[in-house]
Amino acid sequence: MLAFHIGKFILKRTLKFVTLLFAVVVLTFMLVSLSPVDPIQSYLGAEMMVVSEEQKEEIAEYYGVNQPKLQQFFKWLKMFLQGDLGTSLVYRQDVLSIIQEKFVASFALMALSWSMAGILGYALGVIAGMNKGTFADRAIKLYCFVLASTPTFWIAILLLIVFSLWLGLFPIGLGTPIGVVSEQVTWLDRLKHILLPAATLSVIGVSNITLHTRQKVIDVLDSEFIRFARAKGEEGFTLFKRHVFRNTLFPAISVHFASFGELFGGAILAEQVFSYPGLGLAIVQAGLNSDVPLMMGIVVFSTFFVFIGNLLADVLYTMIDLRMKNGEAI
Amino acid sequence: MKYHSISFGTRMAISRKGLLLKLLGLLSLFLIFVIGGSFIGEEQIEANMSQKNLGPSIRHLFGTDWLGRDMFFRTLSGLHLSFRVGLFSAAISTLIALILSLLSSYNKYFDAMVTILIDLLLSIPHLVTLILIAFVLGGGVKGVVVGIALTHWPSLTRVLRAELMQMKTAEYVQISKKLGKSRIWMVRNHFLPQILPQLLVGFILLFPHAILHESAITFLGFGLSPEQPAIGIILAESMKYLTAGMWWLVLFPGLSLILMVAMFEAMGNNFRKMFNPQ
Amino acid sequence: MRAYHQSLLMSMLIAACFFLAACTSQSSDLETGTKKDSLVLAIGSEPEDGFDPTTGWGRYGSPLFQSTLLTLDRNFNVQHDLAVDYNVSDDGLEWTVKIRDDVKFSDGEPLTIDDVIFTFETAKNSQSVVDLQNLKKMEKLDSHTVKFILEKPQSTFLYTLTMLGIVPKHAYSENYRENPVGSGPYKLVQWDKGQQLIVEENPYYYGKKSYFKKLTFLFLSEDAAFLAAKAGQVDMAAVPVNLAKEKIPGMKLIALDSVDNRGIMMPFVKPRYDSEKGVAIGHEVTSDPAIRKALNIAIDREKLVEDVLEGFGTPAYSVADNLPWWNEDTIIEDGDAEAAEKILMDAGWTKNAEGIFEKKGIKASFALVYPASDQTRQSLAIAFKQMAKKIGIEVKTEGKSWNEIEKVMHTTPVVMGWGSHDPIEMYHLYHSKYRGQGYSNANYYSNKKVDQYMDQAIHAATQEEANEYWKKAQWDGETGFSALGDAPWIWLVNLQHLYFVNEHLNIGGQKIQPHGHGWPVTEFIADWTWDE
Repeated sequence: MLAFHIGKFILKRTLKFVTLLFAVVVLTFMLVSLSPVDPIQSYLGAEMMVVSEEQKEEIAEYYGVNQPKLQQFFKWLKMFLQGDLGTSLVYRQDVLSIIQEKFVASFALMALSWSMAGILGYALGVIAGMNKGTFADRAIKLYCFVLASTPTFWIAILLLIVFSLWLGLFPIGLGTPIGVVSEQVTWLDRLKHILLPAATLSVIGVSNITLHTRQKVIDVLDSEFIRFARAKGEEGFTLFKRHVFRNTLFPAISVHFASFGELFGGAILAEQVFSYPGLGLAIVQAGLNSDVPLMMGIVVFSTFFVFIGNLLADVLYTMIDLRMKNGEAI
Repeated sequence: MKYHSISFGTRMAISRKGLLLKLLGLLSLFLIFVIGGSFIGEEQIEANMSQKNLGPSIRHLFGTDWLGRDMFFRTLSGLHLSFRVGLFSAAISTLIALILSLLSSYNKYFDAMVTILIDLLLSIPHLVTLILIAFVLGGGVKGVVVGIALTHWPSLTRVLRAELMQMKTAEYVQISKKLGKSRIWMVRNHFLPQILPQLLVGFILLFPHAILHESAITFLGFGLSPEQPAIGIILAESMKYLTAGMWWLVLFPGLSLILMVAMFEAMGNNFRKMFNPQ
Repeated sequence: MRAYHQSLLMSMLIAACFFLAACTSQSSDLETGTKKDSLVLAIGSEPEDGFDPTTGWGRYGSPLFQSTLLTLDRNFNVQHDLAVDYNVSDDGLEWTVKIRDDVKFSDGEPLTIDDVIFTFETAKNSQSVVDLQNLKKMEKLDSHTVKFILEKPQSTFLYTLTMLGIVPKHAYSENYRENPVGSGPYKLVQWDKGQQLIVEENPYYYGKKSYFKKLTFLFLSEDAAFLAAKAGQVDMAAVPVNLAKEKIPGMKLIALDSVDNRGIMMPFVKPRYDSEKGVAIGHEVTSDPAIRKALNIAIDREKLVEDVLEGFGTPAYSVADNLPWWNEDTIIEDGDAEAAEKILMDAGWTKNAEGIFEKKGIKASFALVYPASDQTRQSLAIAFKQMAKKIGIEVKTEGKSWNEIEKVMHTTPVVMGWGSHDPIEMYHLYHSKYRGQGYSNANYYSNKKVDQYMDQAIHAATQEEANEYWKKAQWDGETGFSALGDAPWIWLVNLQHLYFVNEHLNIGGQKIQPHGHGWPVTEFIADWTWDE
């Protein structure tokens, strides 16, 4: 029964998403075609100087930049639906394979940060909520407040300075150790390169889930059956285990899923500071170098990513809702 | 608990006073940071090759950079710049939010349109949209301001829209409608005054986001010209000198930015508490 | 408070992770065995286009995997490489080249004249920076001789012959750029994009055998390269100016002179509209020769080198300092504020109340643009601004992206950089027929006498003759495009390319480096040695 509801829900949402995605694609393309960009210049870069006008004409033909916009859009759309996202000007590879490559790196980073932030955030939220008004609670609230005012990339730079430059514990960037052949890169190596960027994102990403959990914990603690449990003599950790945990975990996860958008944004900044070769670094390069195909590809992809996050959040939330309605335990 | 024995009214008065004091404190900080920044002349942030690469000292509170520019004054200028950019974009965003929320409360058709627009913008990660817009407009102040203005209105619009929806069903609104008052009259005399507090709070709370996003997009290279002492630029350029050990180029500008952003956040929260004493 | 304990446990776990990472982060140093025959270098950026000479690989310096017909030695004299002989017809239209008959590619196949013809054809038809529009056709005279026939005489075709590496016809496909089979000293073994390039000596190479059998090139950012050098992980690393003063035990800093210059391009004409190109051009203030001459004399180039480049550079008086086609007479006495002001006053400029010069109501003021991403150019612009202020000229600096620079470069001074081993660069920059064409002669400079000299240089029969004309174009005693003459540019400095090199590594003498550091330094890699 539950599964059926969920299934219907997902279907409706997916349909909505597809239309949304189309709108995003059209919007992106429109915006991009308005931009004052010279693709030839981005291809040639510094070599602009010694090339004749005829050469440049030839290059323009080759990249099809002189066709009318509508024609370009349909050409792109057709290619897109066939799975061909065009060729990146910056990386000279087809966009799809670039996204696939870099997504793995970014996904590892985001997954690790998301999990770490989730665990830490939930823990902090519970501590704060269960000890409302105490020093710990105030400290945690202050921490979240300050964090929300802090630029992600600054934290990244600080971590870089302290842990990589001063203490020399971690490499100063990239995804794998320098000069090491890909087959010889170990999991430990990868971990070392991913830890600092992940730490950055986790540190920043806790405030949302912490504050939400804290509020939820306070709400739960205020409820009837908690008073009843307290009267029975339960307290502290047992109270938590029996009642608070079950009623706050899923909402927390639900809220956390909705932070995919922020997560991706933060990843862009962290990857930039640590030169971590993920999608974030790629889209910055694409934007700075007027690499339209790559940029469009990543925009579409990130929309998809956020959608998945929001979908999971909503599914979870609906599940909780339905269960509560049916009087079941969450 | 002794607190409960004091009357409700008195409690309100005390907490209100406390809030007021906090607000005054924040306002003075605001004046120092933001207005003071506009008094910094060119000479104080000029390049001075003989003073290159110095660490923090009495003479140069935040040290100097690789061109001998005093980092303290540069940072203050940067904060002032961020504030101006934040002000402009927050104002435009708020205006957009106001117009769209009023529009969406007009009838179901507009409402649907506005909701779709909101969903559209919220489905792409903020920073990605910012990069896209900045890219399209070719960067610079224009790109940054428009980018931030166009990406921050959704949440405020949602809030205002909800508020307006509620108001539409309120008694006094129904009465005015029956009395034959025009829509514009109702907007001016009912809606606007009611949502003004929300609007103000929303506007102030937009600042932190605007400023943080501005510094992020500038840091990535899409924003203002490197001439401007914007904090994002200061931090981006300073990254090149970390290996040479010039940590002060990063620490102080960052801390100052956090301080300013936190200040706005606190102001906004306190205003909100003042309007909704719950 | 068990929840408290839980988070304590978690923090301990995280700390353990850090600790573990720290223990195992002992740098995996390279084995420093007894006979060192391999090198690890972090010297340049990754060629995004791959290693295909027909699309531009190896033009600056050596192609490493391929060989060229001719080369220029350290003194810029032409030497034979693949070619055993060449000559040019009297009318300069026919170039006949005869190649060696004992050359094999790294896959063992012999290199024939068909490969040469194939290379030039492919290069001509590639939509890339290799510009062979002037090559009309090629005639195969015999199995080892080819005749290049040009549309118009071009003395600089010689330099093309030194820059275009020869690719094998039988092994060429669209993947060639990642799998470059060639006749050069090294062959590509492995290329991990974005990370590193591993090459080994080519067993079939016909030239001098290199000391080092294996080379690993790492593609690192400047910071990462420096840290790698510090950790003893590379034998050679290119570093930027701000890290040059650091000390790394076991390594020495080598500063190579270059013609990698920086200068300011000043709009040459008065403001007007170029209807042909549809753009506005010119600047009221910079079109006044007095302004340009005064600035040229007022700038203290030594001080710029000291302040901005930390001493790692040389003053630049032209686009081609110290190259064979450079006219040494064009060195000027600079840093003279008095003389500069005198020039301005003689031309009718007077100082106003703020100390800025004015003439007919126009202030001596202009905006100076530099590429936003370039720190050195920004510093140069700012330093220039201050020097100009001292003589009453107001300069406003602005950083812009290259896209924006393109739009304003006809009407605004820009900090640019050039420096090529091919004098055709001067032709592109100063000949009136290139006015407004891309980045060439973007400031609309023109001088009929200069045009004449340069055309004669192009049509010259020998390099010596050509160089004489190039020099005349700079200054013939009365006019020219140097600072002594029209001064359309204010050349500032030549950068030095900085490398941290292992004490034991001897990289021998180097040519004057061209624009862009990195690969050019490997040109004479066959001469490098390791001294224990």
